[in-house]
Amino acid sequence: MLKKIVLALTCLVAFSFAESVGNVNLTKVMKVDRSLSPLAKKCVECHAEKTPGIVNDWKSSRHAHAGVSCMDCHAVPADSPMAIKKEHPKDSGNHVSILVSPKTCGKCHAKEVKEFEQSGHARGGVQMFAKKGMVELMYHYEGNGKPYENDAPFHAGDENLKDAPSATGCIQCHGLEIKLDKEGYPIPGKGWPNYGIGNAYPDGSVGSCKSCHSSHTFDMVEARKPSACASCHLGPDHPNIEIYNNSMHGKIYNAEGEKKWKWDSAPDTWDVPDYRAPTCATCHMSGIGDLNTTHNVSLRLKWNLWAPHSNLRTGGYETAADVYAKEGKVTVGVPLAGNPAGPEAARGEMKQVCKSCHSTKATESFFISADQHVMLYNTYHTEAKKMLDDLKAKKLLKKDEWSDAFQKVYYHLWHHEGRRMRMGAVMGAPDYAHWHGVFEVQQDIKELRNIYNARIKSGKIEE
Amino acid sequence: MRKTKLFTFIILVIGGIVGLVFALGIAQFFYVTGGEKFCTMCHVMEPMGNAYKDDVHGGNNKVGFKAECVSCHLPHDNIAHYVYQKSVNGIVEGTLTLFGNPEKYDWQARRKEAKRYVYDDGCLHCHTDLKKISSDNMKSFLPHRDYFAKNINKTCVECHEHVGHKNLGFHLKAKFGDLNITK
Repeated sequence: MLKKIVLALTCLVAFSFAESVGNVNLTKVMKVDRSLSPLAKKCVECHAEKTPGIVNDWKSSRHAHAGVSCMDCHAVPADSPMAIKKEHPKDSGNHVSILVSPKTCGKCHAKEVKEFEQSGHARGGVQMFAKKGMVELMYHYEGNGKPYENDAPFHAGDENLKDAPSATGCIQCHGLEIKLDKEGYPIPGKGWPNYGIGNAYPDGSVGSCKSCHSSHTFDMVEARKPSACASCHLGPDHPNIEIYNNSMHGKIYNAEGEKKWKWDSAPDTWDVPDYRAPTCATCHMSGIGDLNTTHNVSLRLKWNLWAPHSNLRTGGYETAADVYAKEGKVTVGVPLAGNPAGPEAARGEMKQVCKSCHSTKATESFFISADQHVMLYNTYHTEAKKMLDDLKAKKLLKKDEWSDAFQKVYYHLWHHEGRRMRMGAVMGAPDYAHWHGVFEVQQDIKELRNIYNARIKSGKIEE
Repeated sequence: MRKTKLFTFIILVIGGIVGLVFALGIAQFFYVTGGEKFCTMCHVMEPMGNAYKDDVHGGNNKVGFKAECVSCHLPHDNIAHYVYQKSVNGIVEGTLTLFGNPEKYDWQARRKEAKRYVYDDGCLHCHTDLKKISSDNMKSFLPHRDYFAKNINKTCVECHEHVGHKNLGFHLKAKFGDLNITK
């Protein structure tokens, strides 16, 4: 009996091993002949050996079904600002780019790219480099630079290491202005490769479709799941995935979403009852009821809740991508970008999403509570900002804000605690609205008052 | 009375012949001044001409068929618009070439404004079946579906931004140097 069991187990292990090896072999002998040009076939066949993972992704994609090949996205004219100088493959007269910008995706998905460019996501990369404070934080403070004047505790920094924090951190979500070397490759060590949503490319286009539809499957199902957003929207400053998991929506998704829900309905038709609770994409992008699908994630937002003060989104469409395309300039964009019809219209659209499952009364009541919490936060921030401005006028702030007790607490009040308080409220996450939110905000304001009063009284910055 | 009628008839015939000769003359003039030979007489157009000759649209294809400069760079919606735009271009470009300084233009930057110089009805004048047959060819149908359904308001050259002049960037650089390259 024991012998038989051992034999059966051995067979099982051998089978599973053979299965996995078999897949790799299958890729290596891939031959395609399906309305692809001879050169395009050559790409697929050669890369099936060189980079089997990429070809495997492609072959299970909708692109492969539609006959969209490597060439359609990667081939560029030799004089393109993105072209790799060497011919690829050798002596073919063909040039490729390792980068694929939204301009390329927009050849077939023009509407989606346009909507994306009008959203706050398009600002993600460029705005970071247009802000002096952010540039200083990345390259100077986190890059461990030399001290500013005498009040910063830094030792002399290594110039070669200054890109490390941004390249491995900020840029991975935000993106950067990608520069190429003389051969046409992105410069190593400066933050490429990345999945940053706001990359600015040498061809003048801004954004990154692969942030959510990872290459090379570009899967719609993947982008509809909360995990697509969660790789960036997490952590102490915008814990959106944690907020979602804390909400009743997240609870239902986590209980049954993977097993029971239908994930691959066509765009605009993905609606209840394909799912029993919304994911991030449902509320912010999907075509629900009378609403149409949009790739403008700012369109249904009433407030700007990531800024120090919550303001209504009255800025219309985002313009950072347009400015970069026309003038090559990195700008801060339009932080109050939202719905061109105004913040109440934006809220109206969001309510339409809610109402496909909830009653009008429940929807209205939810947003009344949420808005009250947002406005309550503003009362805290107004006081904190007034104290900050007052200390600044009286020269009672350190130049290095990261070694100044007052400025550090002020930063946490809006960037961490304040965002959790507000985002927790509008997305129905009680733990974030309260314990990680308003509870800590009220602790912060007390600390700020103490430091403020001491500095005003003594006329000095404490040691 | 009969004499007057005959006279009117003769006048009409002669007028018709003279008119026809003039019309044909103008048509011939338009024809002669619509191609690469005439357009590249101005030296500033040399890079555009050379890049065009390397391109599929400039005859570098299996059958040697080529589109003339005006096939893309003049409107083809109706003859009045065509003649009007031809005259405007003739006057403006002639004046600028004679009295202006087109050698100093930032030609690289101007490539970004291609939609101002290329007319969709020109493209569709030749690619006339694109709309009809494209559903047979998924690869051609999918990218053009939103265009023909008017879901987007992009022009042909906004997607096909290098069409007509192969590697124009290199030709411009060879003639005008790096000074004109902004990005």
